[in-house]
This record gives sequence, structure tokens and C-alpha cells, in this order.
Amino acid sequence: MAGAGGGGCPAGGNDFQWCFSQVKGAIDEDVAEADIISTVEFNYSGDLLATGDKGGRVVIFQREQENKSRPHSRGEYNVYSTFQSHEPEFDYLKSLEIEEKINKIRWLPQQNAAHFLLSTNDKTIKLWKISERDKRAEGYNLKDEDGRLRDPFRITALRVPILKPMDLMVEASPRRIFANAHTYHINSISVNSDHETYLSADDLRINLWHLEITDRSFNIVDIKPANMEELTEVITAAEFHPHQCNVLVYSSSKGTVRLCDMRSSALCDRHSKFFEEPEDPSSRSFFSEIISSISDVKFSHSGRYMMTRDYLSVKVWDLNMESRPVETHQVHEYLRSKLCSLYENDCIFDKFECCWNGSDSAIMTGSYNNFFRMFDRNARRDVTLEASRENSKPRASLKPRKVCTGGKRKKDEISVDSLDFNKKILHTAWHPLENIIAVAATNNLYIFQDKVN
Amino acid sequence: MEVQKEAQRIMTLSVWKMYHSRMQRGGLRLHRSLQLSLVMRSARELYLSAKVEAHEPEVSLQPARSPDPRLHRPREAEAEAARLDGEQPSPEPMDTQEAPRAEEAPPRGGPRPAKVSRKRRSSSLSDGGDVGLVPSKKARLEEEEEEAAASPEVPDRLQPSPAQAEGAFPNLARVLQRRFSGLLNCSPAAPPTAPPACEAKPACRPADNMLNVLVRAVVAF
Repeated sequence: MAGAGGGGCPAGGNDFQWCFSQVKGAIDEDVAEADIISTVEFNYSGDLLATGDKGGRVVIFQREQENKSRPHSRGEYNVYSTFQSHEPEFDYLKSLEIEEKINKIRWLPQQNAAHFLLSTNDKTIKLWKISERDKRAEGYNLKDEDGRLRDPFRITALRVPILKPMDLMVEASPRRIFANAHTYHINSISVNSDHETYLSADDLRINLWHLEITDRSFNIVDIKPANMEELTEVITAAEFHPHQCNVLVYSSSKGTVRLCDMRSSALCDRHSKFFEEPEDPSSRSFFSEIISSISDVKFSHSGRYMMTRDYLSVKVWDLNMESRPVETHQVHEYLRSKLCSLYENDCIFDKFECCWNGSDSAIMTGSYNNFFRMFDRNARRDVTLEASRENSKPRASLKPRKVCTGGKRKKDEISVDSLDFNKKILHTAWHPLENIIAVAATNNLYIFQDKVN
Repeated sequence: MEVQKEAQRIMTLSVWKMYHSRMQRGGLRLHRSLQLSLVMRSARELYLSAKVEAHEPEVSLQPARSPDPRLHRPREAEAEAARLDGEQPSPEPMDTQEAPRAEEAPPRGGPRPAKVSRKRRSSSLSDGGDVGLVPSKKARLEEEEEEAAASPEVPDRLQPSPAQAEGAFPNLARVLQRRFSGLLNCSPAAPPTAPPACEAKPACRPADNMLNVLVRAVVAF
């Protein structure tokens, strides 16, 4: 797993020195629920960064080109496009409101000048085309400059319209709408490596779509029991393998991951591999079942490993070994004794995501109090960092944070009881090629860069 | 006793969360409902096993309290709970339901045996797969039982107004409302060092039935 990914990794080792770069979003103490960020995703080149929020809005940031005259201003991300992806809907049959919250955004690989992304709420997936327009045609024959139709009798000569430059305009238009295929709430979408198909997963089913076809999808996984009273687990996340277009994985609320091969049968109810770590009986507690639920599963870029996130830990699995993970990293083990309080304030149900860096040498996930954790797999080191307005001076280095678990609290440490459980970092993203990370803290998006970068 | 109180508190909390989750935007979330029902099941098992532990030393001191059914039923409940723990994916409340229900039979006296047999029949019905009928049947039974046993205990101000029970499953909603207020009354009323006789108080007992109803009803969503 020696990752010599593009740029960023210093020759001496993986010693990151994270510095504040930018923060996006309002500073108000009063956060509107609609502005809470619900998903963050870099595109394949890392030049575009998309966020979705609870209000159904998508904001895309673009990295500015490096400016030779200002070498210190390493490409900043500025707003490129904003559009309303989903609106609240009402299911009249079930008397239910369908939330407009964007659950996931996934970029398609770029094939032409335009950019395409998939965004989904609980029920409907949309394919958006984001294109630039910097030229405008002038000199039409049948209409004049403000668009009014010209009187045909007044036209005495023909002219060829000329393209003239205009202010850059970025347009987002919905190209496909994939609706009515999910009875339960969609939790994941994943674009296949064939760039033609993608999957969408809800609590009980996974569907396979073709990007061009909206009126049909194939159900490839169905775990709905004949008798709903026998329901014991639900699907929590699903993803396609980054290179093998026939392989997908899905995680469950019971802490297991199933790998399916679409070549073996049309309906992948029988898994090809089953990843489960036997439970440690000494750590069994009242809430063991619900904290073992996997909230996110991500393949490594190499495709050799996958990572799962449950409430207290992140685990790295080798796809060739189903019996147990090859690495387990504790995110916030000090919360194990507080599970009852976390159940009371609903925090125990928080679904944290996780991500790999471009070279698969490091992994990152969020925690509470606007802390996020980074694990360096090679150096076997981990660090806790904080996304806060106080540490928001340009290029200021982030100081590692420490949570005091008991006994005497040292200076600069924070005690478990002082943690703010309303400030949670559920969504993070790592630039695919460089050491740039995007961290969503409620309604703010923090961008940090590695000093060496 | 502490364990029992804590388990009951968690059960109450879980019921409340389940009820509340129906009101949320986006509708009932299957994953959340499943997690809540899992916690409720664990809490109930804890509650029952704690109750069993509390009962067993008392039983030998109070032979007049029809000890034999009580001795046997709690043991059954324990065994059921242990068996269920071992075989994970099994329909959860059905098997243990028999035991706690049967526990109620001895203290009630005259009219009870007739009601107990009605409950058993309904539980075997749901085994047969008449899923659609079971929740509403249970709700009616709960209402009858509650009216008979708990109405003198629930003050008028806590009676929910009928208008609140709206939505797709009005019976269930009404049951939930009444149960919740019933539980609110139950917990502070129970003295901490109650002898087993108090455990048989009707107000505390229905909690088990309600849980069975709720766990199944919510999962059936």
C-alpha cells in the first residue's frame, strides 16, 4: 500500500501539517435548518467541490487556477454554481412529506466541457448538467437583440450571427430524473466504473440504473422479508467497486458488509463475501446492537481495501479477508460510557461518514465538538483536529486537540462533559490528488490544506 | 430495583421517541424504528430479568401468593429470553409474550382468566400470519384492559383529547398516547421498596403488553 499518489506526500513521511485555508457559510449563531450541509464531494480532478444541504440546494465551488504572481495563494475555492436540486414533495397516498434534503452527491467522470453530477433526496435521484456559457450569439435574422420577433417584411438582408464573448455564466440543468423506484429512504448512490450505470440503495433494496434511462431500473438486492415483523436489519450504505464494474458492497445495521458480484446472478441476494467481525463479549452492552450499525462504507482508491464506520470506530478491511478487519481505529472511545445520554439526546443515531486520501495512506472521519479525526495508516499515528472560527486565520496551523478521559485535565485538553454534541462533523471529503480536505461543520464548510502542499 | 427503574425509563423514552418519529418530516424512518425497537427489546429483557431476580427471593417468603405459577412463569420467561438471545434473528416478542402475560393471571382473580385466554388466542393468530388484524385487535384489548384497571389512576387532566389521535393508524396513536400518560403516572407512583404484591399492580403491568404491540406495530410499518 505504498501510496505514491499525485503530489502532497513529502518524501520524509506522512507528516501532515494542516492549515486553515477557507471557510464558507454564514457566521450567525442562529443556524437555519435549511443551511445545514448534508453532503460534501470532490469531483474526480478535485477542481470542483459540491455541497448539498437540508434545504435541497447544491452549491459547487471551483478551485481557482494557481496564480504565478501570487504563489502563496494556492488555489482557493470560490462559488461556481448554486442551484435548487430538490424541492419538498408530498406523497398523497401515504400522507407523508418527502424531505428535500440532499442525502448524497456523486460526480460523474468528465467526458466533455460540461460537468455532470447525481444528487439524491429520500426518493428521487437527479442528473444535473453544469455547463459554462461565455459566448453569446448576436445578429439573428428573425429576432432582434432583446429577443423580440422582427417583422418579416422589414428584413431586407440576411446576415450570419456572430459569437461574441460575454460574462461567464454557469448553468445547471436537470438532464434526467430517476423517480418512483424506492419505497424506503435512499441512503446511497454510487456511479459504476463503466460510467454508464449507477446504483441507488434504500433501507431494503438496491437498484441498478442506466444513466440514460429513467423509466426503468433493475432491482439487484432485496432484503425485505416476506413478513415485515421478521425484519432484523436494513441496508445502511452501498458502493460500487472503483475498478470492477460487476462488484458492489453494501453495509447493514448489524455491522456486517456483503460483497456482491453481479455476474453470479441477476438478483444478488446471495452475497459472494460476508465481512463480519465477531463481537467482543467483554464490550457487550445495552446499546451494543445499535452502535455496531455501519453508517458508511468506502472502497479505497486501489480497490484492494474498504473502510467501514460505525458509531465509535473506523475499520479497514482487506477484501480478501472476511473474518475480521485489518485495522481498527477508535474515533471517540471515551463516549462508550456515555451511550445512555447519547441515546437520550439522539446523538447515538448520528451517521458519520469517512473518507480515504488519494494514496490510501490516510483516512479521516468526523466526531463531536467540531472535532475530526485523521489516521495515518503507515505511520500508525492519529490526530484530532478542530474546525472552528477561532482557528480561522489564513494559513494558521491547526493544533492537535485532546479529549481528557478522566483524572486530571491538562491544560488545553477538553473534558468529555464539555464536548458540544450539537457541533458534529458528519461529512468530510479529501481531494483525490492533493492534501486538501473539506469538512462540513453544520452550516459551514471548512477547507484545510497541508502546509507542504 | 435500580436496574428495573432504569430499564423502565429507557422503555418509556423509546416509546416516546417512536411516537415522536412518526411526526417527523419525511415520515417514519425504518432504520430508526428498528434501532428503537432493538433498544426497547433489550430494555424489556433487562426489566424482566431484573424483576425475576427481585421476585425469586420474595417468593419463598410469601407462599399465600400462589407461588407455583409465579415460580414457573418467571423461569420460563428467563429461559425464553436466554434462548432468544442465542438465536438472533427470530420474531422477537411472540415467544416471551406468553410468559409475562401468564404472570398476570394469578393476581387478577375472577374476570381475568377469560381475558387471558383471549390474549393467547390473538397471539396465536399472529403466528398464523394474520398480520393486518393483529395490531388493531391488540389495541382494543389494551383499551379495555386499561379502562378497567387504570382509569381510577389516571387523572383527568392527563387524558388525551380524542382529536389528537389522527393519522393513518388512529387506534395505535390513541393507544400510544394513553400508554405514555399511563407510564408517566406509573413510574413515580411505584414505591422503591415495593413487595411483590405491588409489582402486580395493573398500572405497571400493561407496559409489557404495550411494548409487544408497539414493537410489532412499528416494525410492521
